[in-house]
Amino acid sequence: MYRRCVFMVLFLVLPVVSASASGQESGRDMGHLMTILVLQLAVIVIAVRFFGLIFSRYLKQSKVLGELVAGMVIGPYALGSFSLPFLNQPLFPRIESVLPVSTELYGLAVVASIVLLFLAGLETDLPTFLKFSRIGSLVGIGGVILSFFLGDMIAVLLLPGVDSFMSPVALFLGTLSTATSVGITARILSEKRKLSSPEGVTILAGAVLDDVLGIIILAVVVGISKIGASGGEIYWGKIGIIALKAFGFWLICTVLGILFAKKISKKLKWFKSNEAIAGVVLGLALFLAGLAEMAGLAMIIGAYIVGLSFSQTDMANELQERLQGVYQFLVPVFFCVMGMMVNFSALKGIIVFGIIYTACAILGKIVGCGIPAYFSGFNLKGSFRIGAGMLPRGEVTLIVAGIGLSAGAIGQDMFGIAIMTLLIASIIAPPLLIKSFEGGTGLRDKKLIKEEEKGFCLKIKFPSVYITDFIRSRILQAFQNEDFFVHRLNLDRLIYHIKKENICITLVQENKGIELTTDSDNKQLANLIVAEEILELKDLLEGVEKLESPDGMWEKLTAGLFGEEKE
Amino acid sequence: MRKKLKKLLTNDNIFLELEADSKETIIEELIDRLVGCGKIKNREAVMKAVLEREKKMSTGMENGIAIPHGKTDSVNQLVVAIARKKEGVDFNSIDKQSSTIFVMTISPLSRSGPHLQFLAEVSKLLKDSRAREKFLTAKTTEEVIKIFI
Repeated sequence: MYRRCVFMVLFLVLPVVSASASGQESGRDMGHLMTILVLQLAVIVIAVRFFGLIFSRYLKQSKVLGELVAGMVIGPYALGSFSLPFLNQPLFPRIESVLPVSTELYGLAVVASIVLLFLAGLETDLPTFLKFSRIGSLVGIGGVILSFFLGDMIAVLLLPGVDSFMSPVALFLGTLSTATSVGITARILSEKRKLSSPEGVTILAGAVLDDVLGIIILAVVVGISKIGASGGEIYWGKIGIIALKAFGFWLICTVLGILFAKKISKKLKWFKSNEAIAGVVLGLALFLAGLAEMAGLAMIIGAYIVGLSFSQTDMANELQERLQGVYQFLVPVFFCVMGMMVNFSALKGIIVFGIIYTACAILGKIVGCGIPAYFSGFNLKGSFRIGAGMLPRGEVTLIVAGIGLSAGAIGQDMFGIAIMTLLIASIIAPPLLIKSFEGGTGLRDKKLIKEEEKGFCLKIKFPSVYITDFIRSRILQAFQNEDFFVHRLNLDRLIYHIKKENICITLVQENKGIELTTDSDNKQLANLIVAEEILELKDLLEGVEKLESPDGMWEKLTAGLFGEEKE
Repeated sequence: MRKKLKKLLTNDNIFLELEADSKETIIEELIDRLVGCGKIKNREAVMKAVLEREKKMSTGMENGIAIPHGKTDSVNQLVVAIARKKEGVDFNSIDKQSSTIFVMTISPLSRSGPHLQFLAEVSKLLKDSRAREKFLTAKTTEEVIKIFI
């Protein structure tokens, strides 16, 4: 299935890449161009796996960081610049343009960024956001405003030639420090079983708004830089129009998307094939991405809106699963290509600026998210947890930086700073977050503490892993029979989210134990379902005892396994 | 779920005074009454499903509540009944008290739906001693419906 998805994307991508190549490189041999592209992809695909593994297994870091570093190592500013004898040229020749990689490879990274943001939209937990929208919005807005302001201000204060808050470089540096990538936080919180804690849901809700605001700011900043690049004068009226256009496009498309996604998904069921449905929905994401770009906004906005709209349909989990293959293939390529664009020599003179900028980006999030959290009922510990949870940077930072670089709004030096911030923030966030969750409650508000204590946790131990596996699969099936949606959160561990309307239950299996966590309102349901399944187990064991001589059956089945066949 | 409860609980499936005086006969009477109002067609299949479930473990819970239930494809949607027997009967309950409130569900084997969720919702409401008291003293089925909705 994954292979088919990969072919589907290559089918989509290669003609586009070839067409762009044929337009721009009309004098060059198409065969040679494609050979280089395929060889580059081969090296990228292998290198990202290798570095991803080293980072996750040995350095205990996110694979994404490994993929970025892979790009830095094999890219045009490092190993990739050496000429290879069988090619008579380097594998990743440095292109003398705003982007140091070939148009074909960058095209592939753009498609990957669309897939990435489409899936990010698809994973958005809109009900959780709506449930915690007040506090989530405050935290998201606080973090975005302060980090944007600090990022922009640092550029104005410290960068030579940047003298206005409206300068494209300052605006991009402001935007770069706003985007949070909550993926790393979500993984740590799910491992620590804090995903449904007050801090956990606040971070998740805040990150939804953070993404939306970051993308809208990006649209405004891109618009301003385009005017700046074409020599036009930037004044507040124009900025207002761009902001209105960006917000209008976002709002209209999102409202229409959410209104019609359920109807569209019903119509799509006509295909009677989940693979076909996933392909069509991905096509819709690419289509809206193109429309967004035509409207003068960033492509990722369109992709994110389609994802967000379909996240509310019953096929959201199915789409995620079907597109996993495409994701696994394309997204590491995106991170690697972004890593390739880091020009180490451009960083030399501005490393001190980079450190100050990174410190401000971190401070912006911890203080910007922490203050609204403190005034929403969390204590200092809880506010710090929320700030630390909003620290990791990821795909949106890279996409913003890539767009800034390709538009000529920022140079390679600032692109390098963006990657540096991403690496530092993503490396320090996990240990900070783990440490911050030690100790007692993060709440100050007595009402909220009472609600937190209302939580219910059912823990059961079984004599063997086999029995635990059996019971776990039966419990999940029983919930599905009750029309719940079951979604595995983590591929490395057995953590599941079981959801229906406003009921959310987390099931974790650890060796011989099963733990169900939910609101105390759902205690009866959780207890009843588990009790019924334990009865089924009892039934099964009694059934095994009734088997007519299991020993005899074993002997009958294994007799002759090593004996000679009789003629 | 409250909306679902409103849809499921009608004057037809609330029985204010059961006559039977043992566990088996209570189950039998509940099923017969559901057959009588046309909710169940295949009496024997339903009987077998409920008794088989009882054989695995008694559904007599605490505070006088019992939740006899079963799964069979002889029904094609969830069938429920709520009943009382003020004098109480021995239902092998967890707290050894006699059972006075009976919540029965019969659900189709091969169709998904909020079956156990219905039981969970009802048991959540009956956890409250005031709600149990109200149910035991209710004079009409309308009064009972009001307790649950």
